[in-house]
Amino acid sequence: MSKNIPDTWYLPEELEIEPFVADLAEAFGVAVEQAGQHRRIFYDSFDWRLYRKKWLLECTEEGWRLCEYGSGRTRAALADISCQGPRFAWDFPDSSLQRLLHTALDVRCLLPLVTLDERRTRVRILNRDEKTVAFLYLEELHVQEGERVLRTVRLQGVRGYVKKYRAVRRFLEQYGINESASPHFEFEEGLKAVGRTPGDYSSKFTIRLDPAMTAGQAARTIFLQLLGVMERNLPGIFDDLDSEFLHDFRVAIRRTRTGLAQFKKVLPAETTALFKNEFAWLGRVTGPTRDLDVYLLYRDDYLARLPEVLQPGLDEFFQDLARRRQEEFKRLVRALQAPRYREIVSSWREYLQSDREEEPAAAGMPVTDFARQIIYRRYRRVMKDGRAITDRSPDESLHRLRIQCKKLRYALEFFTSLFPEEDMTRVIKQLKKLQNNLGDFNDLSVQQDMLRRHLAELRTGSRKNLQLAAALGGLLTNLYHEQERVRKRFATTFQRFGDSDNTALFKRLFADSRARGRQK
Amino acid sequence: MSVIAVYNIKGGVGKTATAVNLSYLSSNHGVNTLLCDMDSQGSATYYFRIRPARKFNTRKLLKGGKHVDRNIRGTDYPGLDLLPADFSYRNIDIALDDLKKSRQRISRVLKPLKKEYGHIFLDCPPNVTLLSENIFHAADWILVPLIPTTLSHLAMQQLLNFLEEIGQDRSKVLVFFSMVEKRKNMHGEMMRQLEGQPGILRSHIPFLADVEKMGLYRQPVTAALPSSAASAAYRELWDEICAHIGADR
Repeated sequence: MSKNIPDTWYLPEELEIEPFVADLAEAFGVAVEQAGQHRRIFYDSFDWRLYRKKWLLECTEEGWRLCEYGSGRTRAALADISCQGPRFAWDFPDSSLQRLLHTALDVRCLLPLVTLDERRTRVRILNRDEKTVAFLYLEELHVQEGERVLRTVRLQGVRGYVKKYRAVRRFLEQYGINESASPHFEFEEGLKAVGRTPGDYSSKFTIRLDPAMTAGQAARTIFLQLLGVMERNLPGIFDDLDSEFLHDFRVAIRRTRTGLAQFKKVLPAETTALFKNEFAWLGRVTGPTRDLDVYLLYRDDYLARLPEVLQPGLDEFFQDLARRRQEEFKRLVRALQAPRYREIVSSWREYLQSDREEEPAAAGMPVTDFARQIIYRRYRRVMKDGRAITDRSPDESLHRLRIQCKKLRYALEFFTSLFPEEDMTRVIKQLKKLQNNLGDFNDLSVQQDMLRRHLAELRTGSRKNLQLAAALGGLLTNLYHEQERVRKRFATTFQRFGDSDNTALFKRLFADSRARGRQK
Repeated sequence: MSVIAVYNIKGGVGKTATAVNLSYLSSNHGVNTLLCDMDSQGSATYYFRIRPARKFNTRKLLKGGKHVDRNIRGTDYPGLDLLPADFSYRNIDIALDDLKKSRQRISRVLKPLKKEYGHIFLDCPPNVTLLSENIFHAADWILVPLIPTTLSHLAMQQLLNFLEEIGQDRSKVLVFFSMVEKRKNMHGEMMRQLEGQPGILRSHIPFLADVEKMGLYRQPVTAALPSSAASAAYRELWDEICAHIGADR
């Protein structure tokens, strides 16, 4: 009974509150506290980062509270901060709530998922000393988006007063109060009303393919899902909630483009050509805003890379980036609101959902064979390009390898469900390590390019620009050294990726039977 | 997680009022809080309208574990529990003396409770005994309400000397002025003398009737009269303590 979450039951429809409370008062000493209506808002990020940690974040007029889903144990709370204020973890004042939210949310913003208006009466059950020995909460909840009113009663025991708790419980039973509600029923019911289910969006790509599918069917299934991801992220992009809506949108575009290239034998040539072109355009119009989003997120990292004397120089720099970002963002919104975008989406969807007969012969191939072919080809390409890289190879060769790895990764993720889970987890984990190294290398060189461009555009003559130039110079040096270190690690990282175990695993999973035969 | 002992060698300085109000404020900010009434008079227990369990006594307290667990009582305030005092605590020193490691006994009793509670407050009896020594061992912070008079100052010096003697860190001690009467010159004088010294908190609790009346309505003043001057003073004190000990409010 020292549980944090009280037992909760739905009130029978015919039960009337007033006589019920009067009877309660007759059976026990009570103090009835009529509370007015108050609002409760439950928050999470678009991709359920709190829910995935089994956390529930709620804001009321008293403040914010983060509790554990299920046990209801409070992890952290912050009083006197209004629900309108913070959107990101960093908007909260320094506190354990802020730190917990930061680890979970990172750059994602909080969204109000469920808003409830609650009218609640608290009845304290008292003993002869007028000490509270149990709490009874009679609640009436209106889910804002729904018609339904939920009426519940919660019974919260007080530690050390078990007998009284049991007596009250028996009293409730006599009233036919037996239909128990989930401890977070208000959140769950509220979600239903707004048409969402926990975990219904993740930026991780997962798809279940049926091995009985043909390559053509699988391609359509994959493309449709990617299109769905784009459409789901669009409102968040327009509302400019956080950087990740656009990011996920762009990843879906990139996956689609990779898919179009990999499935080219499966789709009619003119379809492939048309949509390759259209998705390339989408990639272009969304690129500049994303780049600037990324640069803006570097702020803390850049400050950490510089000695204190050079740090103030960066203020102007980030203000400038933020200005440019707003301009680019306007352009992006115009592009995505233009008819061309709607046209791409509707014609692409129409194509994917239709039953076209004129598909090329390869479309009829069993999907698993097709998947093996694609993955193995990509894998061999990665191995070949990677082996050719020496300490003296130009940076460009590492960039190209990064793209090859990405294509391999996408192919693996498209078809994960067709192969043993454990093997796929291992394969992807190995690849991820290589990708991280190459990704770091690329990020560092992109950043240096950006900083160099900025430095080149800088006019001399002002004190501010002098400070900025010094800061940029400091950053360039720092990033350059780090890139050198990352590059040095490449050889061992690649060696590990290409070791005999991993090679054997790729062969076993993806090489076709002839290739596997040759191996023996 | 902090164990905070509210202590002074002298009685009648507002220890229990402090322990009751600060533990209430702590729980009110979402931190699971336990108040242990260590004073055989059981004033804190009385304030929360709790009667000690019939079978609870010194022996059970010192055994710890489930013997203590079983006797913790919820208060009228969610998140705030109390371990009631028992009259047998008046002889607790004799019981302690008979035990091995007689100086770390309370520390051992509290150890399992630290998992459950974010803050544990100890309302201590006014004397220097083996029990106090136990409490100094167990506490992360020793909060000393001090009435700003010369005698109090002396008591404070005695405490610091004693801590040194038993090898406890003096920086554990946090002093604040209690029952302050602004119109008494001596109070002002004493406060100015000690102001700014390490371990002396800025916030103080004035002598207020609302605090004195707590015995009548048997609730923390911070709960019963949240907008009173007394409540504001306790809140300010708690905020300052939290900042000092690095805890979230």
